Amino acid sequence: MPRYVIGGLMLAAFQLAMNRIDLTSMRAIDVVLGAHPGDAWKPAAIMLALALGAFVARVASRWYIFNAGRDAEYELRFELLEKLHQLGAAFYRKMSAGEIMSRSTNDLQQVRMLFGFGMLNLLNLVFVFPSAIQVMTSVSVKLTFACLANLPLVTIVTRWISRGLFSRMRENQASLGRMSDVLQANLAGVRVVRSFALEERERVRFEKANRDYLDASLALARLRGSLGPTVGAVAAAGYLVFFWYGSTLLLRGPQHGGVTPGQFYGFWSAFARMTWPMIAVGFSVSVVQRGRAGFSRLRDVFSAVPEVVDGPRPAPRHVGGSLSVEHLGFSYGTRTGPAAAGGEKASRMVLEDVTFRVAPGESLAIVGRTGSGKTTLAMLLARLLPTPAGTVRVDGVDVCELPLASLRSAIGYAQQDAFLFSTTVARNIAFSLDEPESPEAVNRIRGAAGEAQVLQEALSLPEGFDTVVGERGVQLSGGQKQRIALARALIWEPQILILDDPLSAVDAKTEAAILQAIDRQAARRTVLLITHRIAAASRCDRIVVLDEGRIVEEGTHDELVAAGGIYAAFAEEQQMARELEEMTVPSIEPPPAERAAS
Amino acid sequence: MTARPSTRPATRAEKALRTFHEESAIGKAYDLRLLRRLWPFVKPHASFVAISLTTLVLIAAINWVRPLLLGDVVRQAGNHDAGRLIRDGLAIGGLLVLVQSLTYVQMYTMQVAGARAMADLRSVVFRFFQSLRLRYYDRTPVGRLVTRATNDVDAVNELFASGALNAMGDLLSLVGVVALMLALDWRLSIVSFLALPVVGVIVNYVRTRSRAAYREARARTARLNAFLNEQVNGIAVVQAFVRERSMADEFDGINVGYRDANKRSIYYEALLDAAIEMVSTLCIASILWFSGMRGVGAHPITFPLLVTFTQYIRQFFEPVSLLSQRYTLLQSAMAGAERVFELLDEKDVAPAALPPEACAPLGPPDEGISLEHVEFSYKPGVPVLRDVSFSARRGERVALVGATGAGKSTVASLLLRLYEAEAGVVRVLGCDVRSYEPHELRRQFSVVPQDVFLFSGTVLSNVAISDASPDRAKAEEALRRVGAYELFARRDGGLDARVDERGQNFSAGERQLLAFARAVYRDAPLLVLDEATASVDSDTEARLQRALEEVVRGRTSLVIAHRLSTIRAADRIVCFHKGRVVETGTHEELLERGEVYARLYRMQFAHEQAIQAERRVHQEIGA
Repeated sequence: MPRYVIGGLMLAAFQLAMNRIDLTSMRAIDVVLGAHPGDAWKPAAIMLALALGAFVARVASRWYIFNAGRDAEYELRFELLEKLHQLGAAFYRKMSAGEIMSRSTNDLQQVRMLFGFGMLNLLNLVFVFPSAIQVMTSVSVKLTFACLANLPLVTIVTRWISRGLFSRMRENQASLGRMSDVLQANLAGVRVVRSFALEERERVRFEKANRDYLDASLALARLRGSLGPTVGAVAAAGYLVFFWYGSTLLLRGPQHGGVTPGQFYGFWSAFARMTWPMIAVGFSVSVVQRGRAGFSRLRDVFSAVPEVVDGPRPAPRHVGGSLSVEHLGFSYGTRTGPAAAGGEKASRMVLEDVTFRVAPGESLAIVGRTGSGKTTLAMLLARLLPTPAGTVRVDGVDVCELPLASLRSAIGYAQQDAFLFSTTVARNIAFSLDEPESPEAVNRIRGAAGEAQVLQEALSLPEGFDTVVGERGVQLSGGQKQRIALARALIWEPQILILDDPLSAVDAKTEAAILQAIDRQAARRTVLLITHRIAAASRCDRIVVLDEGRIVEEGTHDELVAAGGIYAAFAEEQQMARELEEMTVPSIEPPPAERAAS
Repeated sequence: MTARPSTRPATRAEKALRTFHEESAIGKAYDLRLLRRLWPFVKPHASFVAISLTTLVLIAAINWVRPLLLGDVVRQAGNHDAGRLIRDGLAIGGLLVLVQSLTYVQMYTMQVAGARAMADLRSVVFRFFQSLRLRYYDRTPVGRLVTRATNDVDAVNELFASGALNAMGDLLSLVGVVALMLALDWRLSIVSFLALPVVGVIVNYVRTRSRAAYREARARTARLNAFLNEQVNGIAVVQAFVRERSMADEFDGINVGYRDANKRSIYYEALLDAAIEMVSTLCIASILWFSGMRGVGAHPITFPLLVTFTQYIRQFFEPVSLLSQRYTLLQSAMAGAERVFELLDEKDVAPAALPPEACAPLGPPDEGISLEHVEFSYKPGVPVLRDVSFSARRGERVALVGATGAGKSTVASLLLRLYEAEAGVVRVLGCDVRSYEPHELRRQFSVVPQDVFLFSGTVLSNVAISDASPDRAKAEEALRRVGAYELFARRDGGLDARVDERGQNFSAGERQLLAFARAVYRDAPLLVLDEATASVDSDTEARLQRALEEVVRGRTSLVIAHRLSTIRAADRIVCFHKGRVVETGTHEELLERGEVYARLYRMQFAHEQAIQAERRVHQEIGA
């Protein structure tokens, strides 16, 4: 706010200086053309000084006001991320990443324009009017009225065009978006397109999108281009009035109620100064409107209520690592989607009546098929989803009572989906470290990479651990990503570590080495291992088998195999798969009939 | 490795990332090689460019005259010639409108040329995408390719849209202005040029700094958005690892950098604008001073001349304020062109078909498909198919079985020639696949992939995907034959029900049925069916089995089978193991052998047993 005051004062100073310059130049010209041209140096010197002053004031006004806009943008963006960090899965299901990004780019830009460009021009208008009109009326009131009659038209025309301009800009943006969607679908479905020989159909679709984008961008160019001639034509009408009436006054001469050449020039200069602010106001009205619309769209994010919040208790000093789950049930709530369309119940229970305990230092495997609710269970433990109160306890304390940060640091959940950030390999592994570049961290990064069996591959990347990975960086295979994500989890060292299916994209030999690393982890802390691999589960102290959201079996590996239930069947299946994997069988020759034909 | 106990972490990573983002944003401002490659795209629209350039010269010429006219106005005012004065006023107004209109023509024609050339370039890029081998897609993320055809091409378009080429016109008007000023009055010119060094110093001070700030702001924008986008997509990781604070700090670093780069940009731009504004006043003041010293009467230094000069001086500086922006846009345009052409230089395109004489049928007359001693690998040194030979007669139903990764799906890809066999021969309907136009070859197949891909559109357009104009009756018949007509007719809109992107609003079972209907509609002689592994409820299971029977009937079919019922119903089973064909025969024969297939069968049996065990448990719990 104070910056707008200073900025406003600077604008006032600038317009005052311009006012004085007009008046002084008027005098100077008349002196030069008068009887004592030698005296012209005085007003000329004053003009020089005023010009310097105007220069400083003009720079300062823009500096203060535009910066205020940039600062507002900065603050809003900062708070936006802070808010996004607080919001949970329910919000992200409702608002897609694309929508969030459109708010944080387009809408934020509109708001910034409102606080910068919009404010400057509206404030400027307040000062330019008195500054210019004072000069003009001092020359001739009638001429002033004659010239000003035309100015509102400039504003109206600009306003009218700018409104259309903004809607065409949106249309242009939208058609670019549609074109990239078509392209994205074509490229993502390249296998389908080729298998079905749909190239022609796809080409037609793309050409249409391409053509639409071309049309939209040229439509925008036409309107944008017409702004100059239209406003120019309107302004020219004003100039004609000035020249016609002004020159009559000039001819009449000051003795007969006319004006001097100096006044003629000064008036012209002041009048010309008003044209741009009047154009800018036409724009600014649209800028203000769009800024407000952008702000209200941003509020969709700012006013969203986080579903998971800090509990009232203070952070515990020490976490022992015992975990108990009692009668935990969970559903994602009503969802429209394939499930609803298939005529199933609208809100299916993902988990029902799940109860188990883990002692400090114990290791527990959670086994189950895809869709049995394993991941939901794991995320509920660390309150990454809204955990029902009283169902999950750490060291006997309800997790809903604890501050989120300390809870999630105590219960570390390493997700199934190996999401890596587009930064260096080292930074990805050291994600949980506060000082990722200290010598100690560097050693730990290498250690964790070694444990996760990804050290050699990391070192062989173009820049080693400093290689940037991700969409714009080096492409990693699914297995490499997963092992880097595992290294990220291993370096972390929370009291309770939950590893969600860390081996799905890892081959058998690597798996054995990684399982030993997980054993070493399990020796130091409570470990929950979510897996469908019996080889991994069997190393844990205890196993629970989850199916359709319920615990159906519980016990040690030997007990469960002996029980002959679902776990035993899994074990048998995987045992056979392993045996099969170890078999080497030669190719058979094609049957004689086929050989004869070739 | 440098280890610094700094308060600002991430210097190393920060450095890596910064060069990474900046390098990709900036290119050389002027690159003849790239311009030469762009020319063929601009050439068909060269008449627009010619109009634009001609207009540019015209505008420059008018701009030379306008200040003279303004001077004349003032002179006539002195001469008390009212008629001439009004004519001049009309002329000035007229010229203003004329210049604006010509500018419109100039800008618009340039944009037409640019936008059309870029649309053509995009078409070429799109067609090029369609000719790339699938191998290329295996190693390149889709997002990067989309960026080439959208953002990068748009960056090149800035060459035309931003008026970077107008710099030529600016230069022209500059030279003209200086020449005219000197011709009018060389002494006054020198006096007014006295103010130039002031502006010159400011421009020089601002130029490189402003360009750097502008460039940095652009690079930071890209990073800012990439970072935020990643935070949204990786929010679960950030929250689980409790890294909100440190991520916010890192973001703040970029955000502050962005803000400050913009503030610098604001400062320099304001400085330039204000300097240009100031210089006209300075010139007028110094001319007045000078005139006063010399006396107006003694020399032909007149008020009109003074007005003319002020205008010239304004015109002199106008283009200067746009210089740094234009320069940066030029650079990013070149960088965009560089990336687009680099893509078009990619050599991994599908080879052309063999000459027609190679299409002599080689196999026995009733041969449907055949593979002979085929070798294949996706990655060098990791063979996926080794010496694979098998064939299917026309009308035969062959099931491919084997553990995950045994190479079954690859066989389908080779038959469709999505990939090329490294050795051996692949034949379809008796002809080598290489002798077909890829399009012709693929027309012979109906494909039901494991992961059914639905296009956004309607149920009808998805069933009739192979037709430009869908045949409704035929589509209804296809849905009836797979026993899914009621299921889809029941939905809102029936066959015209909307299908979202990738078919998100349909269940897995529905998507499968749609894919079956698609195959029936297409009615191709060959069928490749990759059975879905996802478990579905028993109702859907039965429905899918019936649909499969219908699809397979009367076609040479290759079923990559996962369900026992499908395997049993096949005429012949080809068993894969580690990329080799190890057994072939009927279910009973292979079971008798007691080797690979028998094990696979028992494994599958164990799996189905597990499902049954689980259902039993459920019933117990339910009871």
